[in-house]
Amino acid sequence: MSYIEIQCGEVLSSVIFIIEGELEQLPQRSAIEEHISTCLPCTAEIAHERAMHDLLQETLRRTCNERAPEDLHQAIHRQLRAQMAGATEVVTQFSMTEISIEIDEFGNIEHREIQIEQTHIQHFIDEDRDETR
Amino acid sequence: MTSKDLVLESAADRTIRFERDALAFTDQLYAAALRYTKNPEDARDLVQDTYLKAFTSFHQFEEGTNLRAWLYRVLTTTFINTYRKDQRRPQIAQAELEDWQVAEAQSHTSDLGKSAEVEALENLPDSDIKSALQEIPEEFRMVVYLADVEGFSYKEIAEIVGIPAGTVMSRLSRGRKQLREKLAAYAKELGYSVETSKKAVAKAALEKGDQS
Repeated sequence: MSYIEIQCGEVLSSVIFIIEGELEQLPQRSAIEEHISTCLPCTAEIAHERAMHDLLQETLRRTCNERAPEDLHQAIHRQLRAQMAGATEVVTQFSMTEISIEIDEFGNIEHREIQIEQTHIQHFIDEDRDETR
Repeated sequence: MTSKDLVLESAADRTIRFERDALAFTDQLYAAALRYTKNPEDARDLVQDTYLKAFTSFHQFEEGTNLRAWLYRVLTTTFINTYRKDQRRPQIAQAELEDWQVAEAQSHTSDLGKSAEVEALENLPDSDIKSALQEIPEEFRMVVYLADVEGFSYKEIAEIVGIPAGTVMSRLSRGRKQLREKLAAYAKELGYSVETSKKAVAKAALEKGDQS
């Protein structure tokens, strides 16, 4: 077996990779594992770091659990509805040209063009906004 | 006409889908915004801006991918671009971050130091925990929050914050370390010092002796 022997300091500075389960990212992975398997102080230190990490995580999760104020929920909802109301004005422009050509028995050509234009604006009623008024 | 109806329908459907799926994260995003901005007014504005931005670019979101991570990315980017701009605060030098592993060569902690730290964390009031988190630099606070409260993987955090994965690791390591140092300092003020912990260790040893 060949590995480069490493010191406790190097193992301890890589402790984040051990805790995060990302040790395979480090080139000196096997040397670190080898060191840990024989070094009691490092094993204890890593166990402590793991316990502290769990405790810190638990503490942070317990502490940082504020709920958004009720009026913020409503404000977001109103904002989205307003955004949607703005987006749902549909303008349909429709134009068509009817062309007809008639040739009679004398060879006279009669050419007719009729243009049909139609603009249709459709607004969607914001039901929610009416409701909250 | 039929194709137009379809387009309209999908826009309406998209809104409904957004409201149903994305708004479920309002509380979580607000708590994160509080950590980012450090005050309720800005946190409110940030969450509202986030939802507005997310809604207008919701068509870019691929259904089936991680909506929560996507929303956090919008939140974080909005914060960095909008709320941080006027602060003009110095950023952590990249070089300083890169040599972190070398700089942080550690030695073993004594058992006494360990138990004092555990005791401090267990006894500190919530307000102290929040203050300590607020005091660590923003770059560290963000990744610590995203990893330890929100449970994002370091790869997801790299995406959310827009930094390399290696940088996430170093910020996480330094951030947690600084946070623990702050907490230890608070605990010391409250009297959970090594001295009290010595008593605790002695007491525990006595109790252990009684039991046997």
